[in-house]
Amino acid sequence: MAGRGGSLKREPQVELRKLDDDYCEFVLKNTDASMANALRRVILVEVPTIAVELVEFEANTTVLNDEFIAHRLGLVPLVSSRVHEMKSIYEAADDDDFLDVQLSLDVKCTSDDTISVTSKDLQLDPAYPDIHPVGYHDPCDRGILLVKMRRGQELKLRAVARKGTAKDHAKWMPVATCVFQYMPEITINHALMDTLTDEQKEEWCDADPRKTFKLNKLTHRVEVTNPELYMYDGEVIAKAEEMGKPGLVTIKQKQDTFIFRVEGTGVLRLEDIVLTACEVLARKIRNLQAALEEEATLFDQGGAAPMQM
Amino acid sequence: MYGIEEDELEDQFAQTSQEEAEIDENDAWAVISAYFEEKGLVRQQLDSFNDFINTSLQEIVDENKLITVKPQSQHMPGMQVDDDVEKTYEVEFGQIYLSKPIFIEADGETAVLFPKEARLRNLTYAAPLYVDIERRDKSVHADGSEEVDVMPYPKVYLGDVPIMLRSDYCNLSGKSERDLCDLGECPYDQGGYFVINGSEKVLIAQERMANNHVYVFRKSQPSKYAYVAECRSVVEGSTRTVSTMQVKMLSRAGQKGAGQCIRASIPYVRADIPILIIFRALGFVADKDILEHIVYDFGDTAMMEALRPSIEEAFPIQSQEVALDYIGKRGSTIGATKETRMQYARELLQKELLPHIGMEEFCETKKAYFFGYVIHRLLLVALGRREEDDRDHYGNKRLDMGGPLLANLFRQLFRKLTKDVRGYIQKCVDKGKEINLSSSINKETVSRGLRYSLATGNWGVQGGPGEIRPGVSQVLNRLTYASTLSHLRRINSPIGREGKIAKPRQLHNSQWGMICPAETPEGQACGLVKNLALMTYISVGCASNPVLDFLQEWATEDLEEISPSVIPKATKIFVNGVWVGIHRDPQHLVDTLRTMRRQVDVSTEVGVVHDIRLQELRLYTDYGRCCRPLFIVEDQAIKLKKRDIINLQNREETGFTWQSLIESGYIEYVDVEEEETTMIAMFISDLRLARQGGDGGASSLATYTHCEIHPAMILGVCASIVPFPDHNQSPRNTYQSAMGKQAMGMYVTNYQVRMDTQGYVLYYPQKPLVTTRNMEYLHFRELPAGINTIVAIACYSGYNQEDSTMMNQSSIDRGIFRSIFYRSYKTEEKKQGSLIQESIERPNREVTAGMRHGTYDKLDDDGIAPPGTRVSGDDIVIGKTSPIPDDGSGMPQRYSKKDGSTSLRHSESGMIDSVLVTTGADGQRFVKMRVRSVRIPQVGDKFASRHGQKGTIGITYTQEDMPFSAEGISPDLIINPHAIPSRMTIGHLVEALMSKVGACMGKEGDATPFTSVTVDNISAALHRCGYQSRGWEVMYNGHTGRQLQAQIFLNPTYYQRLKHMVDDKIHSRGRGPVQILTRQPVEGRARDGGLRFGEMERDCIISHGAAAFLKERLFDQSDAYRVHICSTCGLVAVANLKKNQFYCTACKNTTGIVQVFIPYACKLLFQELMAMCIAPRMVVG
Repeated sequence: MAGRGGSLKREPQVELRKLDDDYCEFVLKNTDASMANALRRVILVEVPTIAVELVEFEANTTVLNDEFIAHRLGLVPLVSSRVHEMKSIYEAADDDDFLDVQLSLDVKCTSDDTISVTSKDLQLDPAYPDIHPVGYHDPCDRGILLVKMRRGQELKLRAVARKGTAKDHAKWMPVATCVFQYMPEITINHALMDTLTDEQKEEWCDADPRKTFKLNKLTHRVEVTNPELYMYDGEVIAKAEEMGKPGLVTIKQKQDTFIFRVEGTGVLRLEDIVLTACEVLARKIRNLQAALEEEATLFDQGGAAPMQM
Repeated sequence: MYGIEEDELEDQFAQTSQEEAEIDENDAWAVISAYFEEKGLVRQQLDSFNDFINTSLQEIVDENKLITVKPQSQHMPGMQVDDDVEKTYEVEFGQIYLSKPIFIEADGETAVLFPKEARLRNLTYAAPLYVDIERRDKSVHADGSEEVDVMPYPKVYLGDVPIMLRSDYCNLSGKSERDLCDLGECPYDQGGYFVINGSEKVLIAQERMANNHVYVFRKSQPSKYAYVAECRSVVEGSTRTVSTMQVKMLSRAGQKGAGQCIRASIPYVRADIPILIIFRALGFVADKDILEHIVYDFGDTAMMEALRPSIEEAFPIQSQEVALDYIGKRGSTIGATKETRMQYARELLQKELLPHIGMEEFCETKKAYFFGYVIHRLLLVALGRREEDDRDHYGNKRLDMGGPLLANLFRQLFRKLTKDVRGYIQKCVDKGKEINLSSSINKETVSRGLRYSLATGNWGVQGGPGEIRPGVSQVLNRLTYASTLSHLRRINSPIGREGKIAKPRQLHNSQWGMICPAETPEGQACGLVKNLALMTYISVGCASNPVLDFLQEWATEDLEEISPSVIPKATKIFVNGVWVGIHRDPQHLVDTLRTMRRQVDVSTEVGVVHDIRLQELRLYTDYGRCCRPLFIVEDQAIKLKKRDIINLQNREETGFTWQSLIESGYIEYVDVEEEETTMIAMFISDLRLARQGGDGGASSLATYTHCEIHPAMILGVCASIVPFPDHNQSPRNTYQSAMGKQAMGMYVTNYQVRMDTQGYVLYYPQKPLVTTRNMEYLHFRELPAGINTIVAIACYSGYNQEDSTMMNQSSIDRGIFRSIFYRSYKTEEKKQGSLIQESIERPNREVTAGMRHGTYDKLDDDGIAPPGTRVSGDDIVIGKTSPIPDDGSGMPQRYSKKDGSTSLRHSESGMIDSVLVTTGADGQRFVKMRVRSVRIPQVGDKFASRHGQKGTIGITYTQEDMPFSAEGISPDLIINPHAIPSRMTIGHLVEALMSKVGACMGKEGDATPFTSVTVDNISAALHRCGYQSRGWEVMYNGHTGRQLQAQIFLNPTYYQRLKHMVDDKIHSRGRGPVQILTRQPVEGRARDGGLRFGEMERDCIISHGAAAFLKERLFDQSDAYRVHICSTCGLVAVANLKKNQFYCTACKNTTGIVQVFIPYACKLLFQELMAMCIAPRMVVG
């Protein structure tokens, strides 16, 4: 990314803070909001995953109708570690392409009790046993409820899972949420703060719903517990003004540092999601660059009229 | 050990004092819960119907039970006339019997009928009515000996009476929840409606003025009279029409010299009669006697003076005979003798003047007293001592519920039946034929009559007395559970909708607690259609005899026995508007009456109104009065104590129910009129304040007689769903009350086994995060109609202007507000005559005429599309043919059958959900089919919060485009902030704030109106949850990632999906069907009709100067029509273009015929004018 306007060449940096199975937090530095937001958007809707897209019903005597169950099946998260091997129907080129994963379900209720049909009752595609609902092999996981059945009811269906992105449907979203926040810079004007009594300081600290500030009982000083708790709601600033002490605290946003929080659904590993997202983003930029260059050559040759605005 | 004992003692002491403790606001809800557990929400319907079955039915039969027929001598040649035997035939109807609802199949098999079957098979849920009949043939011989031949006919079938669901005679009464489920019923369904030909019908309560009341009105200037007192007199339990009596005082500006005379208008008399003449005709001749009946107190010179002109006016008539003759002359008899005239007048006064006082002989004293009382009331207003009466006071209104409505109808039908029986017997007797009693009873009269009125809503019998009222019975609204409940509690005032008089439409003070102040439609029916408040009870009526006996016992002096001079010192006692006597110690009488009522020695619904100012005690036992329960207060304390609440809460063990509360005298029903004589504390805390002598010891505080159970009970069904209605501008609550009825949710739990013509069911309904306590009784948590959505109030990209909203597409993908739409189709194999019998089958194109253009491929071999078939517009879903009878020409016919198939609606598509094949009421094959389609929210669909804030989707954004908070919350819905300030729906914001607290704490918020919750409380709680106290959040733009300038109000709010969806409305047309007569495009989307290009659109084109375009569009391409005109006469000529022959029939010439093009509509107009003998001539140049 060479800045044409003569701006400084930036080198974005990532500092990984936390990485769990379903939660990831990292700091993105040395870049601007456009980059951070682009990454967020790509993580949300352009990382491909696998989800049920087509359901064929053979028998359904449950209380929920076919469309209802199909919709619920679609929302079941499927472990998508092999998405990159698959092709979506838009990308399919020849017959050997890996397009479909065949899942099936065949449940009949023969007991007097109401039974629950869950994602664990799905039968996997024998060809791809590693594509399965999240928590399928976890004995502690109860599975995702699809429908409840009463004696004599039956559900038999074939479900086809395919690759896709959340641009098409939210069921392909790889994460639960992905957000970023600007890194705050908080400076307390201690000189002014000391003009307040302890009760007033306490009161001032309480004004922030997130409890970003704390009064240290020993030092009688107001401290910042964790600047990242601060939500930029301006409550403390308003409180300071109300107390007649504007400027008790100054809070700024670092415009080039972003705290990213990604919560996963178990469909993909979070590091993979972020890396895939970067790849998708890079590809988009490459595509754009290629298209621009092509356009430029055409323009130089006078072959194409300049785009009208 | 010692210590423990002491503790126990203390505990005990604490407990006893606690038991005696006063109840608090929270305990009131235990009382309310007990009420609804016992009564449910449609009690007025059930009570009224039960009363009809249990008492009215037999009473009506008893009213006209005897038919006596004597042979009328006929001159039949060759017939022996038996002169020495006088024969009388008597038929007497006796005991009636009503069975439970049954159905007799076409093959004669009888089975118990349950509502589910009646609904599915389009049957009527009705029970057969039987009656014992006794026939007595009496012959009196010439020697005086009598001979009676008695023939009993036990249990003769009289007809079918439709049975209200869940009433005492319904097959579902007393069934457990489990049983109801097994019978295919929704356990939450409350009944209160009928099933007629498979459709559910509600009887709407009809409001009317109370009869037998004396009303005094002041008339405005153009009227001849200054004051009018009127009394609409009706005898209890009769079909007689109202006999109105008016007493009028002439206005000062009347005839010169006449003074302010008072005259009365009485039925069947053309002219107004001076009041003194009526008194004289009643037998009170002396001026003093008469004045005693009017003025009571001769010391009252002002009133005496006011009567002077009237006395002078009646001076010429000084005896009863002359007075009677005076009235008789003005009656409807013309040219009769004086004797007959007087007799006529006498009977008129006896039968038609104030019949509710008495219609027997020797009622004159009572009538004179009452008549005098009416004049007295008139004078009080005329002398400015009292205000005129309020026509709109709800105490003067009565509600006719299902019971009385059915009773009136049944009475008319039974009259008709007995009339027919009499006619038949008369005919048999006259002709000397054998009387076959059972065949003389037309079994269809009652059955069909009741069924007709209930099915069409036209209330009344053709040719019967009184007018036929439309819209009394309506199809039960099944859109949402709340709309069903509300429909069952509706009231209609049959006043002309066009009238622009505002008064009857306005909310009246006296409606407090009886009628919902919010729930009424907008527009023409505004204020005329009302809804009952939650705890309103409608009296079913009880006999007045116990009350009369009681009065007798407690030293009431009869009018016949008193001298008029004692009246001023005593209190007049009225029972149902009839002046029965006077009493000298009314306070004592009232106290005893109230005490007895509270002990249920007298019926609880008796109304006791002690009007101290007027010196009157009015007692009411009639039906249709609005009552409501109130806590009884004695010595500034509610009689109900904590211990009773504890008993009530454990009512399973203690058996202490709502009824016990009534019987113990803790709570009583107070009707509107009685309410005027009470002092009601709004809150329980007000009583505490009064005891402490708070409010500076204001004297009025020391006199509380009752206390509201809870002010939230003034609301009706739909308004009870609004959270914080006390924070909204009142019209907004009204709007929500109307919109709540269009919300989708779960309308009944058994929707899968029902075949409703239309049904909307939400995929994932949620109970609201913020509820009102009233909702518990409406089962709103169990059958909700909405979803808790995360709502941002923000301007984001401009796609939510003017009440549109932005919705999160990702939320839609995940299933928010998804719903199923069910539509049912019905066909049956009708029979036309004995030859033509339709049959459900797959029509064969070779032999069937008139086949549709939709596809028949989806039909199975049985002619019905099987469940699971995907169908779309115009597809044939049920095939049916009817044979074409031979035309008798002997020629071989191309087609032997005609198509009568059912096709899917043009604009709809879906899947066949289920098919029902059964037999109908006449044993014919009968098919119902339900089609389902999934409705996913899309641009144009309508949504609303619970505060009258409605909007349509303007755009859907996927999650990444939506604004987000640092916590990762993105809204499901973005509404525009401009929707708030002008509408002042603060409740919307408070609901949102409380929802957030509820979501954080995992609790339901309480938004019941008139409680002590404040916004500051909620804000503080939210702050404690770690959020900005006013519900604002810092958000980031989804497109750019930059922080939004303003903080956004982002909170959960309960939203409803309304039934108006674009897919049901979208419509366009290029070419299409036209009307046959006018050749103009048909109207409406359902018929693929045209869109009107009206005058304004036309003007628009003209102003563009595009005249040629206009002509081309509106004429050449539309309905241009070629006609030939005779240039001589200008009328249309006959043209045979093939033979090139032209002829003008008017001028009889063949030349000078020209061809012109005119619009077809123009040609039609000319022809229609010609049919009216107007000749429009087209002058051709």
